[in-house]
Amino acid sequence: MRAPAETDFTSRLRSPAVAARIGVWLGVCFALAFVTGVISHYAQLPHPIVPLPTSPSWGYRLTQGLHVASGTAAIPLLLVKLWCVYPKLFAALPRSLRTGLLTALERGSIAVLVSASIFQLATGLANSAQWYPWEFPFRSSHYALAWIAIGALAVHIAVKLPVIREALGAPLESTELDRPEASVPGAVSRRTVLRTTWVSAGAAVLLTAGATVPWLRRVSLFAVRTGEGPQGVPVNRSARAAAIDPAATGEAYRLVVRHGDRSRELSLADLKALPQRTEDLPIACVEGWSAGATWTGVRVRDLLDLVEAPSDTEVLVRSLQRRGGYAQSVLPGSYADHDDTLLALELNGETLDSDHGYPARLIAPNRPGVLQTKWVNELEVLP
Amino acid sequence: MTAPPVARPLMIGRGMLVAAGVAAGAWGAWLLYDATPWDRWPNLLVWLAGGVLLHDAVLAPVVLVLGWSAARVVPWFRSPVVVGAVLLGALTLVAVPVLGGWGRRPDNPTLLDRDYTAGWFMMAGGILVGVLVAAAVVRSRMTEIGAPERAPAEDGDDGERPGRR
Repeated sequence: MRAPAETDFTSRLRSPAVAARIGVWLGVCFALAFVTGVISHYAQLPHPIVPLPTSPSWGYRLTQGLHVASGTAAIPLLLVKLWCVYPKLFAALPRSLRTGLLTALERGSIAVLVSASIFQLATGLANSAQWYPWEFPFRSSHYALAWIAIGALAVHIAVKLPVIREALGAPLESTELDRPEASVPGAVSRRTVLRTTWVSAGAAVLLTAGATVPWLRRVSLFAVRTGEGPQGVPVNRSARAAAIDPAATGEAYRLVVRHGDRSRELSLADLKALPQRTEDLPIACVEGWSAGATWTGVRVRDLLDLVEAPSDTEVLVRSLQRRGGYAQSVLPGSYADHDDTLLALELNGETLDSDHGYPARLIAPNRPGVLQTKWVNELEVLP
Repeated sequence: MTAPPVARPLMIGRGMLVAAGVAAGAWGAWLLYDATPWDRWPNLLVWLAGGVLLHDAVLAPVVLVLGWSAARVVPWFRSPVVVGAVLLGALTLVAVPVLGGWGRRPDNPTLLDRDYTAGWFMMAGGILVGVLVAAAVVRSRMTEIGAPERAPAEDGDDGERPGRR
């Protein structure tokens, strides 16, 4: 048995007419995942030059939900796309040096594109289920590879543009662009290949999106969360995982609000004595799940007024958390001043569960869940 | 498969797209270089190369063999089987992380809190029912037009077999 050659692949389904049509939607998914991913990355910068807007409050819920959904939809699309173009892997290399160099460059860019694409979809999918079977840092690698994937995709589109235009301009059944040997009818028609691909991509989204779209919960058999949890809201990091000392959240608990040399210490009773506000705000996680909830507590701005903090200044929010990342977050001035931004003491009408950040947690509009710091014990106005 | 003559503005647009792509890729490469500790590079490279190898050297050949076998084993209702197999394969791959449940933690029962195995069987059952219904439709259409039940194809029909000749 010898190595396979491009000419061995005879199915007329492996055609640029099919590849280009799937490629369009794959490109749309990648573009959507890239843009929403960059938004998410930007939202997590500690000191952004221009913070994201505080409204709509569900903005991050939408963009991160779209990020995970478009990545999930891209998995079946990429599989079928790769199936279509698989014979190219065995294409003969040109003999002349000049065309050889160009071909090497083009095939190199394809290798980068395929490698980065599979890496992004595989690590993103695993991360949505909080599975980390690797040793490299996820967030920075996923972000860097996003730029590499989108760059390689741009090169690929530029190189293939004449073929793409011709394929999309011709009927699906056209054989104009096919390899001469790719003429054997397949088990299904090209139309069926496309429909099967669209259904696979759509089903992949429906089967997982229930983690962020409540009315899909019943059909989302593979959603990473049902939406159930203490007080009707799922948990990302439990009090145990964060190594919260129960003694620190009991009678001894104090919230310190600091502004330069001014500072105030408040017990939980002091916090409850301050004017209480109730807001409906979603909690939306980077892993793509989200839930709406009703929060009651003290406005962060009211607390900042106690130490006469000027408006529009950044606030460092510290947690009692002793283990794991995100033990503190920076609240941009526009968020700190927003009426809806609370130091919440209650969730859905009950005292916060310890896993939701008892005795007090931050909840602000349009903000990634990892920055909605739990078990808050200090607010420091940054100079 | 020659490209049609391309207008000049299009050529410029393509050139700019290549330049933008190379710039974005270079920026990503620098980000990756900057953020990855040196002792994590071997594992990162395994993942970068591993995905391509798993697809090109394992998944694609397996699909090829399955398609080739289907062309010989499955009789007249091959098209519903192919559609069902594509759906089942792609969606099972999407479900791997939840089916494995490696992200489960004893301290957090709100994570991965479904019976995903039962979910997978429900999905597979749904696909199976779809395939059977479609096969019944194919059969009734064939009896309507009086077509003889076709034997499995001897060759061709997607029965690609790299390495033959």
